[in-house]
Amino acid sequence: MIRLALALAKAGGLVVVFAAVLGGMALVTGTGVLVDSAFRAQPPLRLSGADVLVSARQSIPLKEEPDIALPERARIPGSLVASASEVPGVAAVAGDLAFPAAVGSGTAGRTADPATAGHGWSSLALSGRITAGRAPRAADEIAVRGARVGDRLRLTAAGTPGTYRVSAVVDAPGVYFTDAVATALAARTAGRAGTVDLVAVRAAPGVSPETLAARLKAGLGDGYEYATGRDRADAESPGAAAGRGLLLVLPSSIGGISLLVVGFVVGGGLALSVNRQRRDLALLRAAGATPRQVRRLVAVQAAAAALPAVPFGAALGYFLAARFGELLAGIGLVRADQPLVYGPLPAVAAALLLLAVTRVAAWAGSLRVSRMPVVSGLPEPRTPSPGRTRAGLLLMLAALGLSVTPLAVRSEAGMIGPGIASIVAVIGLALAGPRLVQGVARALAGSRLMTRLPGPLWLAVHNSHGYALRTAGAVAALGMVVTLGLSVVLTQTTMAKARSDEVALGLRGLVTITAPGLGGVPRDLLADVRSRTEAAGMAMTTVVTEPMLTGDDPGLMARPAMALGPDAEGLVDLDLADGRLSGLKGAAVAVEEGLGRVGRSMDVIMGDGARVRARVAATYRRGLGFGPIVVSRDLAAAHTTTGLDSAVLARPADFGDLARRPGLRFDSRAAGPQAAMASAQTLVNVAVLAVLLGYVLVAVANRLVATTTARREEFAGLRAIGLTRRQLRRVVRWEALLVGAAASVSGLVLSAVPLVLLSVGFLARPLPAGPLWLVPASILAVMTIVSLAMELPARKIMT
Amino acid sequence: MRPGIEAVVTLERVSKTYGDVVALDDVSLAFPRGRFVAVMGPSGSGKSTLLQAAAALEPPTSGEITICGVEVTRMSETRRTEWRRKHLGYVFQSYNLLPTVTVEDNVTLPLRMAGVRPDRAWLGQLIDRMGLRDRMRHLPTELSGGQQQRAAIVRALAARPDVVFADEPTGALDLRSAAHVLDLLRELVDDLGQTVVMVTHDPAAAARAHDTVVMADGRVLDVLPAPTAEDLAVRLARLSGERVA
Ligand SMILES: Nc1ncnc2c1ncn2[C@@H]1O[C@H](COP(=O)(O)OP(=O)(O)OP(=O)(O)O)[C@@H](O)[C@H]1O
Ligand SMILES: [Mg+2]
Repeated sequence: MIRLALALAKAGGLVVVFAAVLGGMALVTGTGVLVDSAFRAQPPLRLSGADVLVSARQSIPLKEEPDIALPERARIPGSLVASASEVPGVAAVAGDLAFPAAVGSGTAGRTADPATAGHGWSSLALSGRITAGRAPRAADEIAVRGARVGDRLRLTAAGTPGTYRVSAVVDAPGVYFTDAVATALAARTAGRAGTVDLVAVRAAPGVSPETLAARLKAGLGDGYEYATGRDRADAESPGAAAGRGLLLVLPSSIGGISLLVVGFVVGGGLALSVNRQRRDLALLRAAGATPRQVRRLVAVQAAAAALPAVPFGAALGYFLAARFGELLAGIGLVRADQPLVYGPLPAVAAALLLLAVTRVAAWAGSLRVSRMPVVSGLPEPRTPSPGRTRAGLLLMLAALGLSVTPLAVRSEAGMIGPGIASIVAVIGLALAGPRLVQGVARALAGSRLMTRLPGPLWLAVHNSHGYALRTAGAVAALGMVVTLGLSVVLTQTTMAKARSDEVALGLRGLVTITAPGLGGVPRDLLADVRSRTEAAGMAMTTVVTEPMLTGDDPGLMARPAMALGPDAEGLVDLDLADGRLSGLKGAAVAVEEGLGRVGRSMDVIMGDGARVRARVAATYRRGLGFGPIVVSRDLAAAHTTTGLDSAVLARPADFGDLARRPGLRFDSRAAGPQAAMASAQTLVNVAVLAVLLGYVLVAVANRLVATTTARREEFAGLRAIGLTRRQLRRVVRWEALLVGAAASVSGLVLSAVPLVLLSVGFLARPLPAGPLWLVPASILAVMTIVSLAMELPARKIMT
Repeated sequence: MRPGIEAVVTLERVSKTYGDVVALDDVSLAFPRGRFVAVMGPSGSGKSTLLQAAAALEPPTSGEITICGVEVTRMSETRRTEWRRKHLGYVFQSYNLLPTVTVEDNVTLPLRMAGVRPDRAWLGQLIDRMGLRDRMRHLPTELSGGQQQRAAIVRALAARPDVVFADEPTGALDLRSAAHVLDLLRELVDDLGQTVVMVTHDPAAAARAHDTVVMADGRVLDVLPAPTAEDLAVRLARLSGERVA
């Protein structure tokens, strides 16, 4: 059976299956690595000497969905340290604090995140050892890694600059102050006196971490989390845990599409392979093979093509995941110190999945051939039903309807219509493609112009008509590449421009001063700037709210939010509909017009999980750029890890010596809270899309190569009746051009309508924002792929 | 073949090998103008190879081929195709019609590729002769086998070639259609002075030719002028017997 199956198999068809499975393996393994990492990644642990870390709840549990991770640190009472030390089985306890600390220059004390680099000396007992010198005693003494005892270092600690003397060298990251200084620095923010970030506990010999955690829980109560093992890293840095949640969300949002694409590509490859052996399979049936045997034979062939692809695809998948991880770290979506995990599980799961897809595709692909009556001989290739064509046309029409939404809704919700429109249009194209190609080619072939065309072009047009079904799949797939490529990328860039235009308007005439390397803007900076010009502090945080916009998660949803104070009045122009920014004091928020009324109150969960009831102080119209909610700086300061501003917004002035202060950055253009997240999402979407579309392109190229290679006899016949080799090459070139043109035109039309409407709605002009070179580039890519995939094999089989 | 009569195609010491198979072994032969020549021989004796070489479809391994006075083996591929298109017509056992275009377009395809305007009067005459007047706007698949082969003959003759080669033109046809096609070929020679070279396995078909070339093992054994069907049948039976022995 296996020998017969392999003898019958046409190499061209199986190569297509091989490539499809290879690419599919790579995609599924790659996303699998991301998901696996989200569950198993072990970020470096600072408090590695602790067996149990006691912390506040850093997540909001949801019933149906993954918990919402809270990125801002919630504190716990310092009294827990004393209570914990009385629990039996505890060998050592430390109340851990983490606050911004950044060394002016050099690598001393360097950590991944300066916002949480400062600690008290007692934490070192559980995070490392002293290698030289003695513990800091005086208020200006510190211990760091990578310096010499006696060095004097300039530090910005908890937003306050100062000069410190190194009294000890340690082998742990971070900057260690005396416990008194650390407590004072960490408590600079209101409401933090007498709290610690974590209680780190080491177990006595013979006591397991789990036992200890259970005892601690019994002693301290249910209100805290008791992390052991790898969970300790999440307890130690809640921001990283929140970032890792993204690893789960990203692949699950694209995983569906990629599985769909993989299914289509593998199925298409097998259909092609089966099609090429129709004659042989029909003969087998005539020679007495049962339908089941024919199906088994096809399944064996499919497995023979798929199995060798599995290891290579898996390797490619790990490689892709590594590149993707770098990309995510590069744009700050995940921390660089949070490496991906390369376990065998994703590859195994992908292999099982792909083999199952192949098995099903083989069965589906061979069903018709295996069942055909023996006498009927060669079955005609399936002609598309009128119902299918009609459904496709309807879908394309519906897509046009959907893309009108931006004209009516000028908010984030407005982009949902065009986004769905392009996908609906692509499905429509796939359904109606064969008939459309046939119809257009027929119209061309029947036109009066035809008789004047040069011979090769004339023949190419007729071939495109006669073999419309042969090329329609390629046209639809390539049209999909153009449509999705253009609409996804240009929708995002257009929205990004609409957002940044609004932010630019809102912050017009302001300079943004930030201190990215210091973990937050130094505390004295705002007063300093204010002494020279008008200025306002601004912070970035995360809030969790009920759904606010169309398309939001129906439950709770975390979103980035800007924090402004009363001093923003007259500086930041949110295009207020009602109220005043000067009301942003205490528990207050401003919301986008239509989401609340001034004077009413609304419930907000801050980034550290605190539930606050906030008064609506103002409503505004620039929600696209500034997001649906702006919280007061007071709220942000009380509920962020650092308690520091993210930026100072100021009217331009002579900043004098400030301009030379180390660590500060002056920008005349500022980005809104949406920008960072949106641009990261854009990058991720584009990267994933590029991989996916690349896969489709390769698969289409593969199929074109296989169909062209199968035309050997046709070409020989044409040569025999007098076509020169050159003319034959021209026929193929023209056919490739027609396929490429059909794909480009359909792709352009389907993406142009939503994009133009989106641009009119958001930018008040028909042209989307850019890189408009994508349009010629995608056409060029399609043309090149088609030409190569058709002309090269044609050259090879021409005799 | 016969001194004094102009040869349309001449083969001079032509050999063709596929790997170690010698398909044509040092063949020298001339096809005279205005004659109907049949090529016969056991299966695998090199008939198709001979025809393809003579029609410049497949370049020989060695030897010279002259078509209408010009030596073609040393021509460039493109020049040779153009020369062949102008002077030769070829009829295939499997018709070799394009399924995607109408019979009419099929018939004029080589002219179109040569960039030559069809001679409407000549084409009309051929179409009538082949009885295809009302089938021209159909697709080839909508025609019977005999009709398809007659369309292929019109195509081969459309450019008024000097010689038409036909490799088992009746091989895929039933007896009646085959006889019809053979009669038509013979008429072309008699009425229009066309030169026709035809490979056939059927002694009765060969009997309608002026001369019969008998091949075996890649060599030309004999050229028989106007043999009867019985002569040929005996001759071929003996040849096959020798090969088996
Ligand atoms: N493309 C090829 N590659 C290898 N060998 C070939 C090729 N074409 C023909 N041959 C061999 O050359 C020899 C002559 O073949 P040819 O087709 O000319 O025979 P034929 O007389 O036409 O036979 P038939 O009557 O069966 O058509 C055969 O032995 C055949 O196997
Ligand atoms: Mg033959």
